[in-house]
Amino acid sequence: MDSDYIIEMLHITKEFPGIVANDDITLQLRRGEIHALLGENGAGKSTLMSVLFGLYQPEAGVIKKNGEVVRIDDPNDATALGIGMVHQHFKLIDVFTVLDNIILGAETTRLGFLKKKEARAKVQALSEKYGLRVDLDAKVEDISVGMQQRVEILKMLYRENEILIFDEPTAVLTPQEIDELMATMRGFAKEGKSILFISHKLNEIMAVSDRVTVLRKGKCIGTVNTCDTNKQELSNMMVGRPVQLVVSKGEARPADVILDVKDLVVPSKMHKNNAVKGVSFSVRAGEIVCVAGIDGNGQTELIHGLTGLEKISSGTIELCGHDISRASIRRRSQNLSHIPEDRHKHGLILDFSLEQNLVLQRYREPRFQKGGFIRKDAVRAYSDELIRQYDVRSGQGSVTRVRSMSGGNQQKAIVARELDRESPLVVAVQPTRGLDVGAIEYIHSQLVSERDRGHAILLVSLELDEVMSLSDRILVMYEGEIVGEFDPKKVTVQELGLYMAGAKRDGKEGEPA
Amino acid sequence: MKQKSDFWKRDTTRSVLASLISIVIGMVVGGIVILIVGMTNKSLTIGSALEGIRLVIGGIFCTGRDAAGSLTFGFSPVNLGNMLFRAIPLILTGLSVAIAFKTGLFNIGAPGQYLMGTAATLFIALSIPTAAVPAWIVWILAFLGGMAAGAVWGAIPGAVKAFLNINEVLACIMTNWIAANLVTWAFDASSLKNVAEYGKTGYVYKTTFNGVATPKLGLDKLFPGSQVNAGILIALLFAVLIYILMSKTTLGYELKACGANRHAARYAGIRDKRNIVLSMAIAGALAGTAGSLYYLSGNTEFFWSTYQSLPAVGFNGIPVALLAVNNPIAVIFTGIFMSALDVAGQQLTSLTAYNEYITSVIIAVIVYLSAFSLVIKMWISGGRKPRHGKAAKEDAAVESASELGSSAVTPPVPDPADETPPAEAAPEKGGEE
Repeated sequence: MDSDYIIEMLHITKEFPGIVANDDITLQLRRGEIHALLGENGAGKSTLMSVLFGLYQPEAGVIKKNGEVVRIDDPNDATALGIGMVHQHFKLIDVFTVLDNIILGAETTRLGFLKKKEARAKVQALSEKYGLRVDLDAKVEDISVGMQQRVEILKMLYRENEILIFDEPTAVLTPQEIDELMATMRGFAKEGKSILFISHKLNEIMAVSDRVTVLRKGKCIGTVNTCDTNKQELSNMMVGRPVQLVVSKGEARPADVILDVKDLVVPSKMHKNNAVKGVSFSVRAGEIVCVAGIDGNGQTELIHGLTGLEKISSGTIELCGHDISRASIRRRSQNLSHIPEDRHKHGLILDFSLEQNLVLQRYREPRFQKGGFIRKDAVRAYSDELIRQYDVRSGQGSVTRVRSMSGGNQQKAIVARELDRESPLVVAVQPTRGLDVGAIEYIHSQLVSERDRGHAILLVSLELDEVMSLSDRILVMYEGEIVGEFDPKKVTVQELGLYMAGAKRDGKEGEPA
Repeated sequence: MKQKSDFWKRDTTRSVLASLISIVIGMVVGGIVILIVGMTNKSLTIGSALEGIRLVIGGIFCTGRDAAGSLTFGFSPVNLGNMLFRAIPLILTGLSVAIAFKTGLFNIGAPGQYLMGTAATLFIALSIPTAAVPAWIVWILAFLGGMAAGAVWGAIPGAVKAFLNINEVLACIMTNWIAANLVTWAFDASSLKNVAEYGKTGYVYKTTFNGVATPKLGLDKLFPGSQVNAGILIALLFAVLIYILMSKTTLGYELKACGANRHAARYAGIRDKRNIVLSMAIAGALAGTAGSLYYLSGNTEFFWSTYQSLPAVGFNGIPVALLAVNNPIAVIFTGIFMSALDVAGQQLTSLTAYNEYITSVIIAVIVYLSAFSLVIKMWISGGRKPRHGKAAKEDAAVESASELGSSAVTPPVPDPADETPPAEAAPEKGGEE
């Protein structure tokens, strides 16, 4: 079966104005294998998959299925060939039920009427067979992200696809959910389905894939057997230079308390209950404190309460000795830098130029304005300097429209802007979400050096690897409360997982680790 | 960007071209309408249809008919002067709509703001006796009053949007009709109804009745016999001021930031609610000024029974802004162009058997096409690139899609829930990951 390729993409070249997104890329998928596609942001992974899915037409190259050349002009052709895809951002209709979403576009009908009963039976059978638990009658907006992903997988199974593409499927899952997904993927492969797994997380690729194809800057670097390689080699291939996978940092030397939070209560926008229920903690200068937890346990609201994006119900927040519980965002931002969770919603104005984004909080400083008029030359000089210093890459430098930049460079721009303000407290929320190894390494080292220069760092992360390697102290949040405080050197990931899932908490069940 | 070959690739060039193409197509359609009407109407001949077309294209240069009965063209100070005079309110309402668009708001409330500005101006200009107060002071008070009334009327939908998250389009439409009825009621109850000239009902005194009028500043010597006055200079000044405000100042930066991404503006410590109200207040002030300057000229009469229809000049600010792609300086030219069409319509009525509604048809077509100017722009971009089969189309589509998503021309979508991430789809476009 070794030479039995189900899908071959041979010498694919796809150009966009000013950039060759795919340059002579060959990808061969064997029947029944899990094939990982590894590459940094902007390496051309998504473009290649869009070509396979019929969203783009390549300038050169052919696609073969079972050795025969096929034409894929649009996603319908791809579906007809048995190709299914779980997109990074799910394509579900929020107000439809799970069942309706699964059968959408492939409804069984008689005389124009839906035959839901048959569809239901089929979906139920699939769901049981693969252990994909879903509530068929729940609306998508009410179910968890993990279940939404299972719905997407069931969609592919319902259409009897045999080639399954997973685009960054683990970005939104908890550690336990990731393990489940891995098991499901292995099950599919065993059944003879072929899987393309797009990721830049080396752990997962090592754990689940049979072979790996590495892309870098639109070029194919090579395909290797997973068993013949290791994480370090893969990341070197991906980035093109030796990468430091472990954060190197010295001992923390905590000094004065910079941020002191007491009994903070923040209301939720989603439901009537409070999202943050009486949280107290402090962060000192020269340490990185990490808030760990599964998404949706009040971390977002906690940060919004601290930064002023949301009004708090009660409690006090002291920053550098001043009570800022009711202060305006602008006043808080004098001492607080905030790398926000959602860089498109809060972090950037996508239709502004890079330089306009880099002075988002500072345009009022005398340095950048005179009598209400913006000093364009000063802004340009400052922006050029930040771009150089933080190595932010873009098409046209300072005047680039931020929307056209890659995700990693957008994030770098935010990091540059926030860290350059030299605030005593840096709040970083999932600063490396969706970024590649190179960019993660860079942002981690920036945060550590910020710490070593005596600034206080409050980090919110959903990635346990990041939590363990970066933090000096860990706070676990569960259902709006801090349920445990740990020293990363003395706690295991498994132990943290139990606290994150609510199975254990300090002072109630069991002893703190 | 300095090379000549880049000229055609520049965004500005494409925008200007797209607007010009909209205008040309509008003119062509207008010409076809004239021809059809000319051929189907018994009282008209093909000859008069051709005259109609000539008038629509060159109406402002038409000086009348000669002894032989054919149209004569040449420098017409009356027409040019009147064109400039009628451009005043169009430029100002155009600015009003454009500044709102630039800050992410759709100001469809210009007619109401215009009416409130008109009413405030007329009340002040006619009720302060010029015997006691010098006329120029009354003029300034009336002018500022009109501006303030428009600002207040614009700020109301702004506040409703900022604090209650109600779509400003809905609020604007309602404030339009409230203004229309309020103004009718106020003048009905007032003593400003024109009783001096018998046979006229429903009109308010001209401001010259009280000796108040915008000075001519010698413009009447340049364009003898026309209505033009210093108002056009004020309109030009406002356009320049708005341009400076929006592109050079910190306030303009804040306003645009709120329009482009309210959440990010808030994150940066910008007071988003205040700025939304402020944007609408500035837009309203401009529309109010439009009404104020139009009636302060002293030789225009206000028909105060407005409760049945809203002033068209308010709505015409929308095509003026769209054609100018919301650029305040370009608004000057598109405003003048629209008023040139207006004058051509009058010529059509007085010199041929056609009526001025033909020009309304042309304006309507241009308005319609200006909404498509993005598509036209995309078409220009597509045509000027070496094509790679389907790929070129795709790329143009991606480009225009991102432009559509960003451009202020698309009326901003109300966000019902603050939690919706606005730009999730962005990274999926183009060649990036």
